[in-house]
Amino acid sequence: MDSRLGLLATLLSLTLLSACSMDQMLVRASLPMIEGGVTALNTETDLELAEDSIPTNIELLEGMITIDPTNEELHTYAAQAYYGLAYGFNEDYKPVRAGKFYVRGLKHGLAALQEKGMENALNGSLEKLQKELQSMDEDDLGALFWTASNWAKWIDMNRDKPEGIAQLPRATALMQRVLEIDDTYYHGGAHMYFGVYYGARSPMFGGDFKKARYHFDRAREITDGKLLVPDLLQAQYLARQEFDLEDFHNRLTRIIEAPDDLYPELGLLNAVTKRKARLLLNKEQKWF
Amino acid sequence: MVLRLGIFLLAALISTAGSAKEVYTLKFATLIPSGTSWTKVLDDWIEEIETKSDGRIKVKMYPGGIMGDEPDVIRKMRKGQLHGGLFTGYGIGRIYSPARVLEIPFLFRDTDESDYVRDKLMPEIEAGFRDSGFELLGWPEVGFIHFFSKHRIDSLEDIKKSRIWLWQGDPLGEAFFSASGVSPVPLSIIDVYTQLSAAHGSIDTVYASPFGAIALQWHTQLKYGTKVPLTNAIGGLIISGRFFNKLPADLQQLLKTTGKIASDKIRQYAREENTKSIDILRDQGMEFLWTQDEVVFKKLIEIRDKAAKHLVESNYIPKDLFDRVRAALVEIRPPENTNSISLTH
Repeated sequence: MDSRLGLLATLLSLTLLSACSMDQMLVRASLPMIEGGVTALNTETDLELAEDSIPTNIELLEGMITIDPTNEELHTYAAQAYYGLAYGFNEDYKPVRAGKFYVRGLKHGLAALQEKGMENALNGSLEKLQKELQSMDEDDLGALFWTASNWAKWIDMNRDKPEGIAQLPRATALMQRVLEIDDTYYHGGAHMYFGVYYGARSPMFGGDFKKARYHFDRAREITDGKLLVPDLLQAQYLARQEFDLEDFHNRLTRIIEAPDDLYPELGLLNAVTKRKARLLLNKEQKWF
Repeated sequence: MVLRLGIFLLAALISTAGSAKEVYTLKFATLIPSGTSWTKVLDDWIEEIETKSDGRIKVKMYPGGIMGDEPDVIRKMRKGQLHGGLFTGYGIGRIYSPARVLEIPFLFRDTDESDYVRDKLMPEIEAGFRDSGFELLGWPEVGFIHFFSKHRIDSLEDIKKSRIWLWQGDPLGEAFFSASGVSPVPLSIIDVYTQLSAAHGSIDTVYASPFGAIALQWHTQLKYGTKVPLTNAIGGLIISGRFFNKLPADLQQLLKTTGKIASDKIRQYAREENTKSIDILRDQGMEFLWTQDEVVFKKLIEIRDKAAKHLVESNYIPKDLFDRVRAALVEIRPPENTNSISLTH
């Protein structure tokens, strides 16, 4: 009787295991669809349509992660999706909500890095983290980039929290590694990060306007000047910090006047950038 | 008829002029970056004065050093290009140096003492600012300053062996290091991070508040801090006299009242953030060293008095003011501890 029970239990657990594996296999098989969805969404220039579709995609991703929690690709996609939802559609209107999305994106990014074997992203000394980062390569770019992006944004939105500011070197170490592995990754996104990093602060706080200009220029070079966001960030951070009203005004005006089909591959980001440029121009009187 | 029409027009003009409210634009600058708790308090303060003045005061805020270092901002205030700012002791020393008596190293044991002495001196400090062409609205605080280093600092000898940064052009820092027998490396604050992070940088030791060390990102280059702080660094919310004096009395009062409340709030935040920052730095592996015994205390008091003597001789701080500060400390301190400095947070 005992042996029959044991057999039953083994069979049951095998069935459950294989059912679980089947779900995971299904999830993994649908990854190209997710990738296709991201590519399609990036070309969407109707901001309302994009805003409506991102939460559905996020829910789908979260569901898939529940089935396959150790899937680093899914975590990376989720980190990217939360970043997009926060930066594109919430930061300017609902900053508190945006902050929460950046945290969610960061958690997914860290989960992806953990799956890749990183142990010191959040804890341990900066030296250990930098050492660990040296073993990261091309396959890790997405996880590094989206983790650092969400992290830095969360820190930027929480400048009143010392514990946040103290983490900036860690996020920056991750992005530095992206720059070293492939500085063209995600349309030169790491250069945009460092453009803001050096441009948003006075030299006293580690700012370096020359370096900031170099990184923004390189980001424009990588995208043949078709991506508008480097100009937006340069106006928003560097021109403001340098108190250069003319540069601020001209860059934002150029963004607004740019053709809508300038970069179809990243039409959504350009449309978001145009909307942000209009909002920033409204601050001209206040800032200068 | 023509005359009556003229009188009527004149009356109408006078009446229009009387009803139009005069708007005063206050251009305000600080080194503190936007989004920090300090600038959030300033943003609320600005909103309050714009609302309560019924739009008669408009404020343009330039945070994060956009308008330059503190001496630049003071110069612009003197020229009338800017009208207000939030300053550290470095800037305050260029406006009314006697106020820096409150920053003399190893003077206060805790914030109760510094609060007591500051409140006692405040009327004469305010008068000193006024005579120098500035109006002091409130007294925020940078907070307790510690040494931070790449190397262990466990004694005065360790300090002497270090390559210590001196905020270039700071007479108080110069006096302290000179009295300590330390040869510091004078640098603009702008160059500190670069020199700390360079492989063979000119400095390996700095001084800052714990929160300042994080905010300036210096902490990434440093492993050790001193337990006992050097001093409680001051701050000031200041308006140029030229701007303040042209305001009607009600708006002057509005700035004074609300400015003091905002400054008190910033002081409270600074204290909380500094305490929290020490924990964060410890969590990140920084060691806080140098437990000081009576012998060391005595030595530090000697250094303090030597530095103070130098500052008095150079007319940076009047002797009677320093004496009154010490006398005020006697009032609240048990006599046997008048000189002691077991500063703790």
